[in-house]
Amino acid sequence: MSESTQSSITVLYFAAASTATGLTEEIVLIPSNGLPLSSLGDLLISRHLGTDLANVLQSSQWSVDAEMVDEPDSVVLKGGEEVAVICPVSGG
Amino acid sequence: MDLPPSTSVEATFEIPEGICVLSYSLNVQQIIQSVQDDAAGATAVFIGTTRNSFKGKTVTRLEYQAYSKLAIKTMASIVRDASQAIFRSDHQTKGQNVQPLIRCAVHHRLGTVLVGEPSIVIAVSSPHRKEAFVACEQILEDVKKKAQVWKREFYEGENEDTAEWKENH
Repeated sequence: MSESTQSSITVLYFAAASTATGLTEEIVLIPSNGLPLSSLGDLLISRHLGTDLANVLQSSQWSVDAEMVDEPDSVVLKGGEEVAVICPVSGG
Repeated sequence: MDLPPSTSVEATFEIPEGICVLSYSLNVQQIIQSVQDDAAGATAVFIGTTRNSFKGKTVTRLEYQAYSKLAIKTMASIVRDASQAIFRSDHQTKGQNVQPLIRCAVHHRLGTVLVGEPSIVIAVSSPHRKEAFVACEQILEDVKKKAQVWKREFYEGENEDTAEWKENH
């Protein structure tokens, strides 16, 4: 696949998501015409088969460029974004 | 111990209403002093410490990580919201146009926090006691609900790899 048809995002994993994937971050290639955020979960699961990631994502939210996403269905990633899996928090 | 995420770093965010800090260390007395003001009649302080037990199991330590650049923004908006809520509420002394809160400080630990050590300190100063208590509690509850901070609990005699990440409810 030529470079001109792909962009990339940085995905950040914390807590249970990082324990499941064994990673704290990874670069993920996405189509240069964009990837709906609602498709990202399945894409990440396919990169980490046999892990608990699917389970973790079920109870998680997304943040894009350090802003929480309230309506994931309305977000399309274009490339260059920093996307984080925000699993249930436990601060304080 | 697994390496912490590269984004789980120390951070500070100062706003007019107060200061929010994520750090690998905490100085309780310094935090209390940081909200002191001659106009304050009250200072409310909450200190959260690592408890030695959870459901009958002995806790040895907690480990904290954060998505710092987002967590610190969330903490700042929590402080702002608490200040505004107090300003509009009944708690404000009637007939006075005094600033109900003077200064807030919210400090949260990153990394390992041993039993008995503080993991979070919230200090709020105000002219009168009611506002300080109310704001302090609201900030704590909102941090627990929203801040992008996670803690992992380690138990005595259990394999560290199976230590669970907690979820606030």
